[in-house]
Amino acid sequence: MPGYYRAELSAEMKITPSPGAEKSPTEQTEAAREAAGDTGLAHEAGPETVVLAGSREEVLAAMSKVIEASLDAGARTVEIKVEAEGDAPRFGEEHANRE
Amino acid sequence: MKAESAPTRERPKILPSNPGKIGESRPRADGVPKVRGEFEYSSDLRVDGMLWGATLRSPHPHANIWSIDTAEAEDMPGVYSVLTHEDVPGRKVYGMEVPDQPVLAWEHVRYEGEPIAVVAADHPETARRALEKIAVDYEILDPITDPAEALREDTPKLHLSGNVLKEVHIKHGDVEATADVVVSGEYEVGMQDQAFLDPESGMAVPDGRGGVDLFISTQWLHIDRDQIAESLDLPPEDVRLTLSGVGGAFGGREDLSMQIHSCMLALDAGRPVKMMYNREESFYGHVHRHPCKMEYEHGADREGNLVYVKARLVFDGGAYASSSNAVCLNAGTFACGPYDVPNARIDSYMLYTNNPPCGAMRGFGAVQVCFAHETQMDKLANKLGMNPVELRLKNAMKPGDKFPFGQTVPEPAPVAEILERVENMPMPEEEEIIGRDLRRLPGGVSNVTRGEGVKRGVGYAVGYKNIGFSAGFDDYSTASIALSVEDGEPIIYVHTAAAEVGQGGVTLQAQISRTELGVENVAVLPADTRIGSAGSTSASRQSYVTGGAVKMACEAVRGKVFERVREEFGDEFGGELSMEDGSVLAGNRRIVALAELLENGGIEETVVYRHKPTYPLDENGQGDAHFQFAFAAHRAVVEVDEELGLVRVVEIATAQDVGKVMNPQSLEGQIQGGVAQGLGLALLEEIQMKDGKVQNASFTDYLLPTILDMPPVRMEVLELADPDSPYGLKGVGEPPTISSTPAIVAALRDATGRELNRVPIKPEQLAGIEGEPIRRAPQPGSRGPVADDLGSEA
Repeated sequence: MPGYYRAELSAEMKITPSPGAEKSPTEQTEAAREAAGDTGLAHEAGPETVVLAGSREEVLAAMSKVIEASLDAGARTVEIKVEAEGDAPRFGEEHANRE
Repeated sequence: MKAESAPTRERPKILPSNPGKIGESRPRADGVPKVRGEFEYSSDLRVDGMLWGATLRSPHPHANIWSIDTAEAEDMPGVYSVLTHEDVPGRKVYGMEVPDQPVLAWEHVRYEGEPIAVVAADHPETARRALEKIAVDYEILDPITDPAEALREDTPKLHLSGNVLKEVHIKHGDVEATADVVVSGEYEVGMQDQAFLDPESGMAVPDGRGGVDLFISTQWLHIDRDQIAESLDLPPEDVRLTLSGVGGAFGGREDLSMQIHSCMLALDAGRPVKMMYNREESFYGHVHRHPCKMEYEHGADREGNLVYVKARLVFDGGAYASSSNAVCLNAGTFACGPYDVPNARIDSYMLYTNNPPCGAMRGFGAVQVCFAHETQMDKLANKLGMNPVELRLKNAMKPGDKFPFGQTVPEPAPVAEILERVENMPMPEEEEIIGRDLRRLPGGVSNVTRGEGVKRGVGYAVGYKNIGFSAGFDDYSTASIALSVEDGEPIIYVHTAAAEVGQGGVTLQAQISRTELGVENVAVLPADTRIGSAGSTSASRQSYVTGGAVKMACEAVRGKVFERVREEFGDEFGGELSMEDGSVLAGNRRIVALAELLENGGIEETVVYRHKPTYPLDENGQGDAHFQFAFAAHRAVVEVDEELGLVRVVEIATAQDVGKVMNPQSLEGQIQGGVAQGLGLALLEEIQMKDGKVQNASFTDYLLPTILDMPPVRMEVLELADPDSPYGLKGVGEPPTISSTPAIVAALRDATGRELNRVPIKPEQLAGIEGEPIRRAPQPGSRGPVADDLGSEA
């Protein structure tokens, strides 16, 4: 995502609740959201989707917690899209002033 | 379905102009049409067969959504498309810094006016009626409207990771330092609106191949495009943006409003879709200036040398992030003002609430803290028994000092000089109050007295701000310059994506091109995404960054011209080559006319320009975060009617460090406009909120200064070149806004002796109705207060 601040890594996680699980679909999603929220890196990105954004280490560790919480709650599918923000060309490098 | 036709709006013909060189006053091409009402804003866009888009918004600032039923709206004749969050093909959220704002809400709404569904119909009234047919089942929740409440641990979380969006902590020197003389205070700045002229508007045209063209008024075409493409799940090249007529921005068009919605509707309906907010909707459709509460403590020795500053800043970010992170950082770094402060502890917090989202607005965090630190300096001067200007001069930062965030103050930083200039400017003549023209009384002809209660006051303030994007952001601009021959005459085509929002950037690009290449005819092409990003028209950055890109592209073209000259005429000219009057010269000798040199083909160069690097702050808030600083000082002279609480600003005097005057008329316009916006914040402008709801979403109820409120502005500018910037220029758009507000309030304090720690100042504060009451005898026929309470005045 462009902007003033670019997270080093972002992970979009879509939790698909399992209809056969003991907990209701809402409870399964809520468990994942709560785990995501506890990481301090999360915001909502859809009815069953959260995005984690932060440093590589933070996001990778947080992803595991969200997956674990989702599975524990009964969800059987978590779709993940991980995006690394490429280092923008820095000052003084290949796109430096041509003067 | 393929688009029926391209927009029928006649695009302004790109006529070459003679824009003069840099340093000359040249009227802007858009000036006369705007004054005459002939300028085509984006709300004037029209195309055959277009549909009208409309937005269903939440009437509640905080609610759960249990269901959205669009069936009845979809069945209405004339309705072509009804869309909800389920129809967003890609990412369902957007945001410049943090993508946390729903394109269309699904389970929750977090502010009044949040979009829930959009409709496209054959007539705006049909679209409006269709919105009424959409049934939304809400569970209304208590709104969290106080940032202090949002900060508490036991407050419900508005977002998954809590209510604290950003914290910046700056520790400088000894954070436990003590001092002989201490003053403290609590200050508050209300929610100001950008109040631009033309509401959010634009038109999306499907290309028939799955892509879309969007004609839009915005501040930053490429960041719009990238966010739109993500939500449409399209590659960026399939989303093409062209800037249409922008009716002002001031930060309020940096975020998306109707961009994704119009594109979704156009792609779904297969027809061009125009969206245009009305004035009330516009108040919900863009971000505002952050309200802020600030606690300050200043310590000084008995001679008036600052020893420390402590500040705690709490900003209301509203429901979504927008550019609040950067505002929080800016406010933290500028919290001490342009003074040499050896020790500082600044804590800056940005909170989510259920108020409208806040974001960029002219001054961007520096405005709020300037009001507080300048009030503190006056308070300190008063306690020390010093002249407030003398106190400021004694502590004025100078090149080589350290900012509280660790960066070295660069050349030029003429804080003392601009203060002295303002202090030494002649004062406006005092006019006898009794018997003067009523229009020159505070309140004008609304003043029902003879001016018996009118007092005069004088106040000073100085402020500063960074130019451009900071803290490691890759801030650049792209420019293309094509030099060719048409009808036997050389002509320059300038192409950038820089948004002209009324600041005069198009004229400046032409002036730079003409100066660099010595060619009379210059045509500036429409800004669009066919070329690389120019970054945002904000942060007072375009003259520097896109101006720098245009200059660099011209230099590249000039280099190619000289190569061609050397190829054809050899190397021995007996002088440096230059370009002037459509020819290449060696010294004073004309070598060849460009028309002849370029007859077999023109020259085009595209470049990317970057300013010098900046770096993020570390955990103690230290770092070389900014690349340029601009300073301005203001002196306000006011008259206050203490009986009625009415104010007349008699005069504003200002001195500003601008580096290089590129276009004197444009510069004067920026200073006048900035002062007007600062005056508005001091006296009039505030979005009134109650329980998360906007109370004054109209230009009838949101008070703006008019020409009758604007005083004469006496101005002096300093041309102290920045060694790193193109031509030595500095950004000029924001500094006039920053310190004009505290100068006016200081003058009001001088006249009334009242504290006045919150802006905008209300008449009841000046008349003493609010706060400590003035004791009065009851009027005839009124029971009034009981006699004992009135004491000797009864």
